[in-house]
Amino acid sequence: MANNSNRKLNRREFLTRSAIAAAGFSTGLAPRRVYAGKKGRAGAGKKVIVIGIDGMDPGLSEKMMRGGRLPNFAKLAEAGGYRVLGTSIPPQSPVAWANFINGAGPGSHGIFDFIHRHPEQQCVPFFAMAETLPGEGYWEIGEHKVQLDFWPFNHKRPVTLLRRQGTPFWDYLDEAGIGSVFYNLPSNYPPSQSMYGHHRCLAGMGTTDLLGGYGTYQHYAEDGPVRTKEEGGGRRSMLFFEDDTAKAELIGPTNVLLVNPRAAAIEFEVHRDTGAEAAVIEIQKHRILLKEGQWSRWIKLDFELSKPGVDKHISGICRFYLQEISPNLRLYVSPINADPSDSAIKLTEPRKFIKKISNRLGLFYTTGFQEDHKALSNKVFSDEEYRVQADYVLQERLNLLAYALEDYDDGLLFFYFSSTDLQAHMFWWDSDEKHPVRSTAEAKMYFNHLKGIYEKMDEVLGDILHRYGNEATIIAMSDHGFANFRRQFNLNSWLRANGYVQPGDSTAILRDVDWSGTKAYGLGINGLYLNLKGRERDGIVEPGQQSEELLEEIKAKLEAVTDTNGKQVIRKVHRADKSYSGPATVLAPDLVVGYCRGYRASWATCLGDMTEEVLLDNDSAWSADHCADVSEVPGVIFSNKPITAERAALIDVAPSILTEFGLRVPSSMEGRNIFAT
Amino acid sequence: MSFLAQLIIWINILTNNLGRLLLAPVAVLPGWLSNTIISAVTGVALLVIFKYTSNQRAIGRVRDNIKAHMLALKLFKDSMSVTLQAQGQVFKGALLLLLHAVRPMAVMIVPVALLLSQMGLWYQSRPLMVGEDSVVAMKLNGSIEQPWPNVNIESMPAAEVTMGPVRVLSKREVYWKIKARENGYHHIMFQVAEEQVEKELVIGKGFMRVSAKQPGWQWTDILLYPWEKPFGPDSVVESISIDYPDRLSWASGTDWWLVYFFVASLIFALIFKPLLKVRI
Repeated sequence: MANNSNRKLNRREFLTRSAIAAAGFSTGLAPRRVYAGKKGRAGAGKKVIVIGIDGMDPGLSEKMMRGGRLPNFAKLAEAGGYRVLGTSIPPQSPVAWANFINGAGPGSHGIFDFIHRHPEQQCVPFFAMAETLPGEGYWEIGEHKVQLDFWPFNHKRPVTLLRRQGTPFWDYLDEAGIGSVFYNLPSNYPPSQSMYGHHRCLAGMGTTDLLGGYGTYQHYAEDGPVRTKEEGGGRRSMLFFEDDTAKAELIGPTNVLLVNPRAAAIEFEVHRDTGAEAAVIEIQKHRILLKEGQWSRWIKLDFELSKPGVDKHISGICRFYLQEISPNLRLYVSPINADPSDSAIKLTEPRKFIKKISNRLGLFYTTGFQEDHKALSNKVFSDEEYRVQADYVLQERLNLLAYALEDYDDGLLFFYFSSTDLQAHMFWWDSDEKHPVRSTAEAKMYFNHLKGIYEKMDEVLGDILHRYGNEATIIAMSDHGFANFRRQFNLNSWLRANGYVQPGDSTAILRDVDWSGTKAYGLGINGLYLNLKGRERDGIVEPGQQSEELLEEIKAKLEAVTDTNGKQVIRKVHRADKSYSGPATVLAPDLVVGYCRGYRASWATCLGDMTEEVLLDNDSAWSADHCADVSEVPGVIFSNKPITAERAALIDVAPSILTEFGLRVPSSMEGRNIFAT
Repeated sequence: MSFLAQLIIWINILTNNLGRLLLAPVAVLPGWLSNTIISAVTGVALLVIFKYTSNQRAIGRVRDNIKAHMLALKLFKDSMSVTLQAQGQVFKGALLLLLHAVRPMAVMIVPVALLLSQMGLWYQSRPLMVGEDSVVAMKLNGSIEQPWPNVNIESMPAAEVTMGPVRVLSKREVYWKIKARENGYHHIMFQVAEEQVEKELVIGKGFMRVSAKQPGWQWTDILLYPWEKPFGPDSVVESISIDYPDRLSWASGTDWWLVYFFVASLIFALIFKPLLKVRI
């Protein structure tokens, strides 16, 4: 433990102390009394930088290192600072990053899949990372709700809760007076509170847009549907031109202050000049001039939500993209992100942190999923349009990284990159087999583009090593790897075919299943639940011997499933009671299905829909995935400090960081220090 | 209306010159400080104007009367008739005070409006920064059916035209996108049919006098945008505007400068009221 009197002050601390001292003198108080927060602390002045590279795959990384394309990663590997990193069960990003956060498995943090369910309502699904609870009680004034959240009324306002349980490792740093700052951290929305004020965080994956989803684009076209059509992750509307002008509506946040909630909307006009191949968009006070194929900068919009008394205003930001001018004008509007300069939702801890970043960087994406993969999957974007949009996201991240490094003095800095994941989902294809939607040449070209992003990550690492290599422990890590996604497996269709879901002609577990005859159901990407008596509302399977036998029976049958060509589909089915430990295990699916490379749960499976066939080709642009078995898609860890542990896993990273700062590893953590001698 | 427009143009010539001289320090001072100084001077000046244009003796009498009836309200709160009568008198006094304020208001409204339009040139928008994009919009006179004149923007070293002209026939508007290249006060030259017109373009950092619109022959626009000579009623062009960015500041930023000005000038007026012995 370093002595407080000896240690060097960092810049921020120096400025803080100076300001407090000045305030103390001017108010007549002794500065020592005003600045009473810090005592001697462990790890003072120590620097640890962690770069989270979502989805960075060990196979591809090793191949590129061998080919000399990742010189900085290769340098660390040669010096003993590289291991394949064991991922989570299942290897889904929210689960994996929560493992990293708690230094323990899902039994500790309670995130087992993107999607969970409420068993007391049988199987009503919700997003596992955060849940918005509706308010309770109100007074009705005209068409408005008035909620008074104090005695004697005690109405409850709607609230968004972080579902991750347990103690995140930065709380131990915070308690010890060690600063930590996280940029775009997944599985931490709304960002958890810092008890001692030494922790700052910009929330990442899991953060919603202003429409309350994970990103809803709005698309307008002359050949669009007459009635606005909602599609997963977007909405399409028709543009009708009268002379050279069309009017449209941009949908904003829902006004929950109304008895019958409805979305706030902003009218806008599109004027077209086909001769100039350009259009003018007039929205609120903005005039946006775009040529075909051009993106606008970020546009700030003011959404007015009516409420009793003075209306509420919510500021959102979006970008316009003019895809085509004629004969069919097509206009894409990005999801409406919370305005970082004036955010209506809590995006950072502390709340004002986002404002500080925005003062420096201006406007930027604030949703968790920034690459608009839905627009590509729904064929609103072409491959190239998606690449351009996703590369813009990467450029924004690099700008944010520059800011993060400039603002960093000591303690822990964590920075997250999503490009290696969300571009890999669309562009990864490391096989000679036919790609689901692309020609072989195109598939190769876009896979090369993905390799270019790995090279960019290598440059980032090189820069950080150059600047901090001698004074900081630097870690670059991923949460999982990647695999092609060629064939999809419908778990509920398989359960139905094997008599576990009744009746035999049911189509969806949320629609027409007979629960009195259904023994098990699938929900989420990897989860399988028994219809357990006493847990599920309409449960029929008796806990104990009956459930035990059923679990083993389903597990054995699933592990024996083969494709039409005889290939094994499922590598391993994990029993929750044997794979997880901890207080949150009660929320876990009973079985976690671990697919072989090339396979994944079908799109329909995730929300319980059934298809005629159990195994189908994947025909989506989302052509690669990692929601396979834990053994199929491990991640990577690199460090400028030799890794002594033979094997490393995500749960080991937090204990290693704490040890670097001279702190003891708490008993709640299941991992161990990978640098231990 | 034409006479009013012409009158405001003449007044603008005078106020532009005065503004150029008196508001010149705005360019070098921090925004909050310059707006505070202007508010202080204006607050005190308006107080003095109020003193000499209002009937101070009558205002004094009304205020004394109100005080007397307030006292009556306190002393005779048990008597309904006295209370109601006193309340009526207080209300009447408040109305009388408003009436006494009409003359000074009438005297002050024009100089205040002119001052605000001059201040708006400095605070309402910030100049473009080098490398920044903006949209230039030209509105043409005439009806939709009338033929379109040839409209061209001349190339210039100060800014690059990156897009346009983009014509919106239904609005008789032409747009260009420009990218700022050189700091300073510049002029964009346009050739519209046989007519050559120009619009000031401001590029730089900090506080510069920014005229967002060169107005047409409408007295309200001429009052709001005083710096550039308006287009005549016979001109092919109705107006030209440039989308300058908002200035972000509570004390001297877009729209907020006005709120700050009114609050600060009111505070200074209240501070100086006893010193200058003004009854409001």
